[in-house]
Parts: sequence; C-alpha cells; structure tokens
Amino acid sequence: MKTSATHEPALLYVIAWLVLVLLTAFNIGTAFLGLGVYGPVVQFGIAATQAAIIFILFMRLKGPPSLKWIFAGAGFFWLLFLYGLSTTDYATRQGWPS
Amino acid sequence: MATITADPATSYLTSENTITSWLLTRDHKRIALLFFASITFFFFVGGIAATLIRLHLATPEGLLQPDIYNRMFTMHGIVMVWFFLIPSIPTTLGNFIVPLAIGARDLAFPRINLASWYVFNLSGLLLLYALIMGGVDTGWTFYTPYSTMFANGYVIAATLAVFINGFSSIMTGLNFVVTIHRLRAPGMTWMRLPLFVWGIYSVSIVMLLATPVLAMTVLLVAIERFMGVGVFDPAHGGDPILFQHIFWFYSHPAVYIMILPAMGVISELITCFARKTVFGYTGMTYALMSIAIISFFVWGHHMFTSGMSIYAGVVFSLLSFFVAVPSAIKVFNWTASLHKGSITFDAPMLYALGFILLFTMGGLTGLMVATIALDVHLQDTYFVIAHFHYIMVGGTVSAYFGGLHYWWPKISGRLYPEMWARMTAILTFVGFNLTFFPQFILGYLGMPRRYYTYPPEWQSWNVLSSAGASILAFAYILPLGYLGWSLFRGERAGPNPWRATGLEWQVPSPPSPYNFERTPVVTAGPYLYDAEDGSFTAQNGIVNA
Amino acid sequence: MRSLHPEIQYATLSQQGETAQLGMWVFIATETLFFGALIFTYFVCRDAYPKEFAEAGKDTVLWCGSVNIGLLLTSSLTMVLAIDAAADGRRRHLRYWLLATAALGIAFVGVKGFEWYLDFAHHDVPSIDFILKPAEAPAGELFWVFYFVATPLHALHLLIGLGLIFYMLWRVRRGDLSPAYFAPLEVVGLYWSFVDTVWIFLFPAIYLVGRS
Repeated sequence: MKTSATHEPALLYVIAWLVLVLLTAFNIGTAFLGLGVYGPVVQFGIAATQAAIIFILFMRLKGPPSLKWIFAGAGFFWLLFLYGLSTTDYATRQGWPS
Repeated sequence: MATITADPATSYLTSENTITSWLLTRDHKRIALLFFASITFFFFVGGIAATLIRLHLATPEGLLQPDIYNRMFTMHGIVMVWFFLIPSIPTTLGNFIVPLAIGARDLAFPRINLASWYVFNLSGLLLLYALIMGGVDTGWTFYTPYSTMFANGYVIAATLAVFINGFSSIMTGLNFVVTIHRLRAPGMTWMRLPLFVWGIYSVSIVMLLATPVLAMTVLLVAIERFMGVGVFDPAHGGDPILFQHIFWFYSHPAVYIMILPAMGVISELITCFARKTVFGYTGMTYALMSIAIISFFVWGHHMFTSGMSIYAGVVFSLLSFFVAVPSAIKVFNWTASLHKGSITFDAPMLYALGFILLFTMGGLTGLMVATIALDVHLQDTYFVIAHFHYIMVGGTVSAYFGGLHYWWPKISGRLYPEMWARMTAILTFVGFNLTFFPQFILGYLGMPRRYYTYPPEWQSWNVLSSAGASILAFAYILPLGYLGWSLFRGERAGPNPWRATGLEWQVPSPPSPYNFERTPVVTAGPYLYDAEDGSFTAQNGIVNA
Repeated sequence: MRSLHPEIQYATLSQQGETAQLGMWVFIATETLFFGALIFTYFVCRDAYPKEFAEAGKDTVLWCGSVNIGLLLTSSLTMVLAIDAAADGRRRHLRYWLLATAALGIAFVGVKGFEWYLDFAHHDVPSIDFILKPAEAPAGELFWVFYFVATPLHALHLLIGLGLIFYMLWRVRRGDLSPAYFAPLEVVGLYWSFVDTVWIFLFPAIYLVGRS
C-alpha cells in the first residue's frame, strides 16, 4: 500500500522542470544554427530526451510495477517498424519524390 | 465428481431481470451476450450482401446495376471485417470465458467493457446510416485517390464509422492485456494458461498496436476528402501509396487479429475432444506471440503491384515467408495432438478438424501470393479472394462456431442437440468448399475481383460457387434455429458436460454472477487429459476419474 | 470521507490502483502510435520536399509555440505536485496545484486560439483561406495540412484532459481521494503528462522548420 512518505521531494521535480525549460531554449537555438539535414535529428533527439524525463520522472516510470516500462516503450518501439520498413520503399522507389 | 446443477435463480442470467440490469451491467458474461447480439446482427447484414453478390455473379449479365454491385462488395467487406470478424471471438467468447479461465471475478475494467459495446453499436449505426443513404463503392480498403477525390458515396460517414469502431477494439484489447497480466488466480502462471487465453492475449497486443494507425489513416482520408487537399494527393506532392502503407500497417495485422483467437479456440477443442494434452505447449505459446509480432512486418505484400519500390517488395516477400512458419508449427502441433488421442466427433471437434484443413489450404495459398512472381498474376484476382476466405471463413468462422458450441452449455446452461449440430458442421464444410474452391480456379484463369461481370466461359465455376454459397447460407442459419430451441427445450447442462480441464468448467452452468465463491488456487497446467482411461485433472488440482 | 472497498475483481485497493495505472499506460501506448503515424506522414513529405516545408514553416508563430510548450511543461510540474499532495493528505495544496494545472491548460488553449487567428491572417489555412507562396508550392500546403490536423487533435486531447482535471476536483471535494487511495488522480496525471509529451514532439515539427 502506497504511504505518504514514499514520494520524491518536490525540489527534484522543480530541477527537472528547469532542465526541461533549458532544453527547450537550447532546441530553439539549434533551429537558427543552420544544421541542414542534421537539424531534425538534433531537435527530435532533444524532444526525445525531454519525453524521457517526463516519462521516467514525472510519470513515475521508475516506480512499481516494472511492467510499465514495456507498455511505455512499446508504442515508440513499434513506430520503428512503421518508419523503418516504409523506408525500404521511400528510399528506393524510382519516381519518388514525384 | 457429482453433477451439480446450478439453482437457476442464482445464475448470472437470472439474478436480475430488468432492462437496465442488462444495459448497464458490469458483468463480463452479460456484456458478452450483448456483443453476441450485435455480432450476429452484423454477420447477417454482411451475409445478405454476400448473398446478393453471389446471386449477381451466377450469370455474366448479373442482377444488380454495376454501381450497386460495387457498393455491395464494399459493404460486405466493411461489415464482415470490422463488425464481425475482428470483434467476434474476443468480445463474445473472450469476454465470457477469459475471467473464468484465469480464475478472476471479472475483467480489470468492467465499465470500459460495457462502454466498448456502446461504442461498437454507435459505429455500427453510423455505418448503417452510410449504407442506407446509398453506400460506398471504394472497396473496404478505401484506396486513394479514388476514396479521397472521386468516389460518389458516403466515404466520410463510412471512414468515421471505422474510426469509432477502432475505439471499441482498443478498449477490448486494453482490458484483456491488463486483466491477463494482473488478475490471474494464485498458481495460474503464464505457462499454465490455457491456449485460448494466450490467443486472446496475443490478439489484444495486435489490436492495441495496430488499430491506432488505422484510426489516423481513415481520419486523414476523411479530412482530405473534406478539405480537398492532403498528404495522399499527388498534385500537392503527396503520395497515394502512402495511404496504402499506413492502411496495410494496420490491416495486415488485422487479419491476424481475426485468426489468433480462432487458433486459441482450436487448441481447446482439439485437446478436449482427443482427450490429450496439446503437443508442444511452449511452442504453441511462442507461435502465437511470434505471429502477433511478425504480422507487423509484412504489410507490403498487399502492395507488390501498387507502384511501391520492387526492393521493398523483396523485403516484404521474405518477411511474409517468415510469418508462415509459426502458423505451420501450430498446424503440425495440432495434428500431433490428435495422434494417439481418444477422439470423439462431437460438433466442436468437427469444426476444429475442418479448421485445420481449411486453414492449411488458406495458409499455403498465402505463401503463393506472397511470392512476387506469382502475385503479379494473382493480385486482384479471385485467387486472393479464395485465399483469404479460406482463412477467415474456413478458419475463423469455423473456430467461432466450434467455440460457440463448446462453451454453449457453460453460457446458457443447456445442451444443444448434437445431431443437428454435427449435420450443420458437415454442411458448413461442404458448402464452404463448394463456394470457395472454384474461386481459386477462377483466379488462376484470370478473373479479376471487384468486377461486376465476367466472360461467359467462366460461368460454370461461378455457378458452382454461388450454389455453394446457398448451402453455406443455410448452414449458417441452422444454428440460430437449434441453439435458440435449446435455450427453451434443451437438456440442462451440468458444470462440466465435456469433462474438460479448464477453470471455467469447475463452476456451475451457467455461472453465478461473481464466477467463483472463493478465488481458485491453480495447481495444474492445462489439458491434463488421459486418453487411455478418460480421466483428467482440472486446473484447480482436482483429479476426475 | 467515504470508506473505500476494492471492486469485486480486485483483492486490495493497491492492486486496483496499480492496475488502473497500467491501463492508462496501455492507452498511452496506443496514443503514441496514433500521433506517431501522423508524424510519420509528416516526415515522408518533409523528407521529399525539404525546401518547400522549410519555406512553409517560416510562417509559424514561434513565440506562441514556445510560450505554449513552457505552459505545458509547467503544468506537468504542477500536476505531479498535486499528486504528491494527495499522497500526503494535504487537501488544500492538492486543490491549488490541480487548479494551477487547469489554469495553465486553459492558458494554452487561449494562446493556441490566438495563434490560429494569426494563421488565418497570414492566409495559411488549407482549403479555407490559403495563399501559396511561390517558394513553398505545391508541397508547402501539406505542411499546413499537417499543422491543422495535429494542433486541433492535440487541443482536443488537452480539452479532454481539462475535463478530467475538473472531474478530479469534484471528486476531491466529495472526499473520494485520500492517501489510502488516489489512483484516479495518478491516472489523470499520466494522461496529462502524455498530452504534454505530444506537444514536445509537435514543437520541433511545427516551429523549428526553416528557421535558418
């Protein structure tokens, strides 16, 4: 049974919030740097990092039951199949882009 | 074990009698019956469309106007796929049996279960609206750019009906996954679960991971049709084949949604009526999960001739061969389970035996269409239609009827008339083969699908197919008769008329509202039958001579 | 305060609460695929027409998007503080943090609405009021199609989240939540933080295109 004494101190979440805000500012900054093809990689990478902080800390993935990790990751993992296998078409199709 | 007949006044059927006690129930067993009603209704709607199609195709001149014919095969597909095949076994047999089989008092989220029925019916109403207002003629696959730009018909209504229907699927899958993870009785470890429960678990995973992509796909179709611009539109730089990618990302796993629970049912039937434990239980569980997962990697085999890159086609063809392997393992294991069994040919076993043969034929022809060189000729012909009907009708519908008969005593508390049921099972088998085998030949000869006419020299095959369809239709109506009769005049069933090992057979027929007086403790694996002397050990450890 | 019993299929309240959270995680997985499929179509088009998408992206209102992500990140913080207040039995703090979360959510909707008004003013609404700039034709309009599918969908999810927060406030007033059982609030918190996460991914897709 969950008792009142078992949660993290509020300061931890405030620091995490600060990190998230700083990452956002950093992300906006990278947009103006002209990274070309690598721009989206960096920007979505930062977004994924922010999502990980939210999932693990704010959404308490750390706590029991550990089954949560599988459910949390399954959606993202499955998207890899959609993106990956479709790429076998979009990367090799003659006549795309039209 | 002494036969205990339940006091009818305390069963889930009779404990409360008001309309609201049914329409606002949280009892998974009552919700299963609510779904039975809806599913049966849509089965006959889709069946009427099929009847009209086969009547039309009995002659090259046909019966219907071409435009109406197009709407007919579209509605047949939409209704049968989303309103019958996908929900059938999970929402009826799954809902009823899974909590009983794992030793739970209900599913994890009973209110979500009830809500899924209402959402299902809401989507059905929207689809009926589209149908009555004139229908859709895009085919159940809604290919762009026809569906988004040129089709006359109620595309937006139909796609939104499918969108809403998806929520019902997701709710069902969510409930089962969480229930099976968290509400198993003490001692019911994963590797003691009956294969029916594994079938429901694996199908729920597919439902959860595939349906959201369908939801986005049909939403984008509706939006593009409404706004006149979208990502599938080549004039704006979009790609019509993109639609096919995200549509089939769902719709291929969807066909495994249709077969996985059926496979689970068959394992129950084969073991009980051969009085033998299943051959290779661990392999069977791995096979179910492998099918569920690999099914997501093969969708491009629907697109070999679409304009997709040929290199992608090669990748998808290879992966499609892989997905056949676990299915084949299951067929071998079922066959091995029969070997040296003590087999009785009750109706459920007849349906199961039919399943094994018809599913094998469907599966082998699937390998044929997964081969690009063959698919170039067979794509969009009747060969493909025969292939998938062998699996969906020969497979899933047979398993559905087999399971329905098997669990009928538990659900209704009555025994059905066995001779009527056996005759119907045989009639179904004959009618089915007569309907669909000629379609393999027609496809090989080159008859295209979704065409309202054909050259006269193919008429004899079409007539055979239509004749078979009439037998099949009769065979599907018969159970309404004798199962309905059994509700009033059938012999009352004891808790375990089949002498089966599952936990659901250790409670009265029909069960009490809360399933178990005390949570059972599981000490035995599933299917501990002895073919030699007919004894068996139920999963709660009780040995029965 | 009402006395709480687990539902009949659960042995303990703790099992019921953990199972409810698992259910929400499963739902979140489905939503990941839902929005992920949409973002997939975005990437297919952006990958094929990077210049047109960059040109189209210049018209997005960066300050609106940035303020909004700030609001949502803060609301995830206030939500988690509300949950901890529930765990400690600090009812007043619980209500304040919930109200703060709701306020931030409403502010988001306000900013979004204003941003849509600006998009109309720039003639960036496909099919209704869209003027194609030469450098973004024709695929640039697809960027705006994505924008007007993604942002209303996200806003809809956010509105549902607001409804859930108000429902929680009502249940708090009724005394339904206590340190012994506050799982409904945790479940709403998961949903809310997920809505935040969706915006975290939409943000670079919409606002960080074509800025250089």
